[in-house]
Amino acid sequence: MFSRRDILKIGLASGAYGALGPGPRRRVFADNLPSSPRTTPFVVALPIAPIAQPTAAFATRADPGDCVNADGSTAFHVHGPRVVPTNSQFFLIHEQARPHSFHPQLPANVIWGYNGMAPGPTFIARSGTPFLVRFVNDLPQNDPVGIGEPISAIHRHGGFQAEEDDGYPIDTFCTGQSRDYFYPNEPADGLVQNEESTLWYHDHAIDITGPNVYRGLAGFYLSFDAVDSIAGELDTNPQALRLPGRMVSLPSGEQFREFDVPIVIQDKLFDRNGFLVFDTFDHNGFLGDKFVLNGAIQPFFRVARRKYRFRFLNGSNARFYQLFLSNGQPFVAIATDDSLLEHPVTVKSFEIGPAERVEVVIDFTNTTLGQEIFLVNRLQQTDGRKPDGLVSPGTQLLKFIVDRDAADPSRVPDTLRPVTVGPQQLLPQVKVKRTFEFERSDGAWVINGEFFDENRIDAKPKRGTPEIWTLKSGGGWAHPVHVHLTDFFILSRNDSTPPVLERGRKDTVAIGGPDFGDVKILLPFPANFRAVPRPVTGRFVFHCHNIEHEDMRMMGQFDVQP
Amino acid sequence: MTPVATRLAGLLALVAAGCSGRPPEPPPTPPNVVATIREQHLPNIELVTHEGRRVRFYDDLVKGKVVAINFMFATCRNACPESTQHLVEVQHALGDRMGRDVTFLSISLDAERDTPEVLRGYAEAHGAGPGWYFLTGKHDDIELLRHKLGAYELDPVIDADRTQHTGLVILGNEPAGRWKAITALGKPVRIRQAIERTILPVTEWPTGAAVVNEVPYEENERGKEVVTADEVAKLLVRDP
Repeated sequence: MFSRRDILKIGLASGAYGALGPGPRRRVFADNLPSSPRTTPFVVALPIAPIAQPTAAFATRADPGDCVNADGSTAFHVHGPRVVPTNSQFFLIHEQARPHSFHPQLPANVIWGYNGMAPGPTFIARSGTPFLVRFVNDLPQNDPVGIGEPISAIHRHGGFQAEEDDGYPIDTFCTGQSRDYFYPNEPADGLVQNEESTLWYHDHAIDITGPNVYRGLAGFYLSFDAVDSIAGELDTNPQALRLPGRMVSLPSGEQFREFDVPIVIQDKLFDRNGFLVFDTFDHNGFLGDKFVLNGAIQPFFRVARRKYRFRFLNGSNARFYQLFLSNGQPFVAIATDDSLLEHPVTVKSFEIGPAERVEVVIDFTNTTLGQEIFLVNRLQQTDGRKPDGLVSPGTQLLKFIVDRDAADPSRVPDTLRPVTVGPQQLLPQVKVKRTFEFERSDGAWVINGEFFDENRIDAKPKRGTPEIWTLKSGGGWAHPVHVHLTDFFILSRNDSTPPVLERGRKDTVAIGGPDFGDVKILLPFPANFRAVPRPVTGRFVFHCHNIEHEDMRMMGQFDVQP
Repeated sequence: MTPVATRLAGLLALVAAGCSGRPPEPPPTPPNVVATIREQHLPNIELVTHEGRRVRFYDDLVKGKVVAINFMFATCRNACPESTQHLVEVQHALGDRMGRDVTFLSISLDAERDTPEVLRGYAEAHGAGPGWYFLTGKHDDIELLRHKLGAYELDPVIDADRTQHTGLVILGNEPAGRWKAITALGKPVRIRQAIERTILPVTEWPTGAAVVNEVPYEENERGKEVVTADEVAKLLVRDP
């Protein structure tokens, strides 16, 4: 039996028995937004986004240059039609407003999604086969819901792509327009160690990324190669890792990826009638009290007694999570952000900040049929500043139901993706270091005292050379910092060796507050694109991925020099 | 949302509730952003203009209008002069649109000292023209408004320092339900561009490279240093 005090404790720590979770603390003035209505957890199956289907080749078009952004700016990179190698695949994605069910007890909400879905369709790419993706903006003007603006730029987060294809924040297209993005699907500088794994694509339009992503504009982009292959566990190539996952054909003829499951975690707030709420006046970082996994609030997922690969993406605007399994079972981490680790790492839990990815293998082999295991977030966060710390028991986000047996030809080899050009090789080439201080200033956000301005260059690294950047945060705020174009190695956190899950290549790193502190990173700026040969040059941004901070200009840009 | 989708959702909710046999309730209507923002962010507090006119914040200053709101106080020595100076420049650039297409609302955080007379002097000293109101009122009312408009700090110690709240311009197109905040300390050109986009019909939005290039190109590699061999050697030793 629970005592009254126990119940109080649970209630305080995790909302109503884990159904509501660590909700935002109510402040006197600011967020007098009421909590979301109660929803019964684990009544809907975890949705899995369909795989994006290629279309017939089409003639690529020049970029629109006349879409006016929220700040009055227009596109900087206005290129002609893309040069597309003959082996490329073509995709057509429409950004659309469509009704979406977050939970059967809530009314349908009109979300903005890629092909009308949240999350959008999952791209499955093979290294060596470039993609040309045309994104068409069919979003409505004068939308009555008022979350987001129908202005888009698409960033393939973690991807290696040219400056005009990177979703540079002012390179936007408006309602009725489209923009073609060329994704080379190649590792930076042709290095096998740089083969990509879990990327995601999301909106990146200047000043309005927060509401646009919150409204639904995000999806997965999974990249495979000969080793971490699409055939996955069924691959007969002796070099293949054979990690869990395989392609299967559904009766409808559609392809489906089984045992390899991308899961995006987002927090959202709903009004008393169940309609999505966003606070455009909150510049600290918007928090919700409902946990939405692949578009559904607290779903369940039926699993077989075997190994699964889960690709967790924190797609929240400002919330950090620390994830555990309710039966105390560990996770075998195999990748962080867009890169496989050199070796798998067994962990009891892992922390994941906004925009970060952690890939894990969960082995259900030794469970019993009918067993229920919960994915639990035990990290409490009550405002946009930083996570508060671990609570118990936390919030159950997802219920795994073990309901069958299945053959398991997959394995988790001891060596995943060896790093051949790492800090040992790169450090002797470093000539330049930079310090970037991420701070709050007069109600908005600055890097080294400056708000983002599209016509100011904050760094001019040389292509093909590595640099050391020290990232600092003031005022006890946590900032998940994301650098476009290149992955980096974390050299140190608070002058100490980084924790075990931060020793691989990363594209996003949390800084600030007592937990994260200052971080020193080593960035190898790439030299060449190969699918369409050209040197790597031009303007790319780096920014805080607490999107409210990003939208309030906590963003800088570097111009890669020839 | 289409009516079909709404009905479908209502039906689903009923099924999930276990088909208890209650008559179906009418499906809830999605909120309208204009009403939501009015309810949650635009308190109808009483204020006094620098001309001594008593006004209501929502009814008289915001309803049906495009506004640029900032917080200031006459004796502010930190960010305020810069914010005010930037808004003065924007005022000049906007020309006869000031007062016609957009209203500036500068709200004092020093209700005690910033009487309408003091604010009138401040307005005159800065050359504030028609369509720009300097406002004062009850301290608690203005604190409420400041929080509702997002000009607050989570840290109570920093929040108590009113110089921290003078760096934002909150832009609103009330009838369209479009609100955003920009920094008042950024370049005045960018403030004007954002205001223009808030007030003009879509078809009249200014376009072209000229918009970007109105601010001259700048390089500012602050934070850049040369790495010493010593430093690299130390890092190499640490890296396993």
